[in-house]
Amino acid sequence: MHHVVLDQWSRRASPLHRRDPRSKIIPLLIFLVVLATAHRLLPAISAGLFAMLCTALLWARVPLADVLARACLVLPFTLVFAGVSWIAGDPARAEALVMKSYLSALAVLLVVSTTPMPLLLRGIELLGAPRFLLMVTQFLYRYLFVISEEAQHMRKAAVSRGGSFRAAAGALAVLFARSYKQAGEIHNAMLARGFQGRFRPLSAPHFHAADAAFLVCASSAPVILRIALERFV
Amino acid sequence: MAALRWHDSQNRDTLETKVHIPDGFLSTPVWAALDMAGAPAVAVIARRAQRTFDEGKVPLLGVMGAFVFAAQMINFPVGPGTSGHLVGGALLAYTLGPAAASVVLTAIVAIQALVFQDGGILALGANVLNMAVLGVLAGYLPYHFWGRTRARRAAIFAGGALSVLISAVMALSELLLSGVRMPGGVLGISVGLFAVSALAEGAITLAVIGALERIQPEFIRQPAAGRSYALGAVAIAAVLLVTGGVLLTSTSPDGIEKLGQARTLLSTPFSGYGIAGLGSGWLPKAGAGLLGLGLVYGVCLMIGRRR
Repeated sequence: MHHVVLDQWSRRASPLHRRDPRSKIIPLLIFLVVLATAHRLLPAISAGLFAMLCTALLWARVPLADVLARACLVLPFTLVFAGVSWIAGDPARAEALVMKSYLSALAVLLVVSTTPMPLLLRGIELLGAPRFLLMVTQFLYRYLFVISEEAQHMRKAAVSRGGSFRAAAGALAVLFARSYKQAGEIHNAMLARGFQGRFRPLSAPHFHAADAAFLVCASSAPVILRIALERFV
Repeated sequence: MAALRWHDSQNRDTLETKVHIPDGFLSTPVWAALDMAGAPAVAVIARRAQRTFDEGKVPLLGVMGAFVFAAQMINFPVGPGTSGHLVGGALLAYTLGPAAASVVLTAIVAIQALVFQDGGILALGANVLNMAVLGVLAGYLPYHFWGRTRARRAAIFAGGALSVLISAVMALSELLLSGVRMPGGVLGISVGLFAVSALAEGAITLAVIGALERIQPEFIRQPAAGRSYALGAVAIAAVLLVTGGVLLTSTSPDGIEKLGQARTLLSTPFSGYGIAGLGSGWLPKAGAGLLGLGLVYGVCLMIGRRR
């Protein structure tokens, strides 16, 4: 499964991997807003932001070509709309759609490939998102592989029964019942290990001075780039 | 994201109705407004789900989210050479309750944005509102009113269809409102495809609920008894009317004014958003707005009395 790769990248070692998740989430949001609100000189700003992301990816020692290719996941959808806009006589919008959606996906990939998902979700929680929601998300991510494997079996079962509508519905109902049962077992196992309704990470994230410095630099870089380009070009 | 994507898997076309808008598509007022609306909505729903589901049940919600993800692998034949898969909003609402279903779908939308590059981060507010809030609520609505009556099966079907239709049409409206060009033909085709996949979702939801009832009927939550047919019909009509209206106004932002100008068809004392006798300025506009609200409130009261 392709997101296993992302999990492996996120557990490598680099200065960027070591930063507190909060010091990456906030610059990501600022980067996305700077990009989303840009209209004038968009190609120049996009080129600058692209160079910035590539530098960061090299610094993070994740395979650059693979990440660039993975960000193309957004393109099939974008290209449809870009094509329609182009035909409708709005080539500027077509270009903007492609540049903005690709760069946004790349920026998200940079953060996700340098932060393990449990730590990233913990960072989002520490920034004020509802804890209940984030706990559900943590469990969802953790059991995605397990249930997907189960679904492969059910898919095979449905196809062997002729692949009819009824067979597929039956397979899905069994998958539902099995997932439900599995959730009960997981809960019992967690209770047996002293689960009291909240996760206790082995290493709580600490916000160091280096994180603060990184936060300031990474947040201001896209803003400065855009102001400089709009002022002097 | 892929609003509508036909692709080959096992020599079949799969009809996908994913409505995850990526970043870069929505204009700033649209994504900012929807983020501002989405954040408190999610906070309220998370709190409500937490109240009805003690924290020990958190693993259940997470695993059910993984189930909805994995359920996409199982294909349902929905037409000659075409298959669809479960989207799941309505099914989750019938089994976990609407608030918990919203939380699970919010988690799904977030994981899809982060891990699968399917949907944007700034567009998270839009995607969460479309799928996890409005989709789930609209999907639960028919079941809420008719889940205990003879029309139960129809309600389950309608809920599945409504959940997909509402999310898709809302996403489409947000894109149009942001200025994404969509000529009439393309728009018509997309709405048509959305309608087909909405019907498919209704049929899949109904079939899976039926199969679940045979295996373990206690999985399905029963709505409270004693709700009227008429109120349900009014509620669903309102949802459809609002959704249709949003789509119409986003295709041509002057649509309402055009409607106001078509006096032979429809004439109200409020045309031009003002009360004719009060001159112009902010006062008549506010007055017309308040009067309109009062009228809607009065109609709701009258319907409420009749029960």
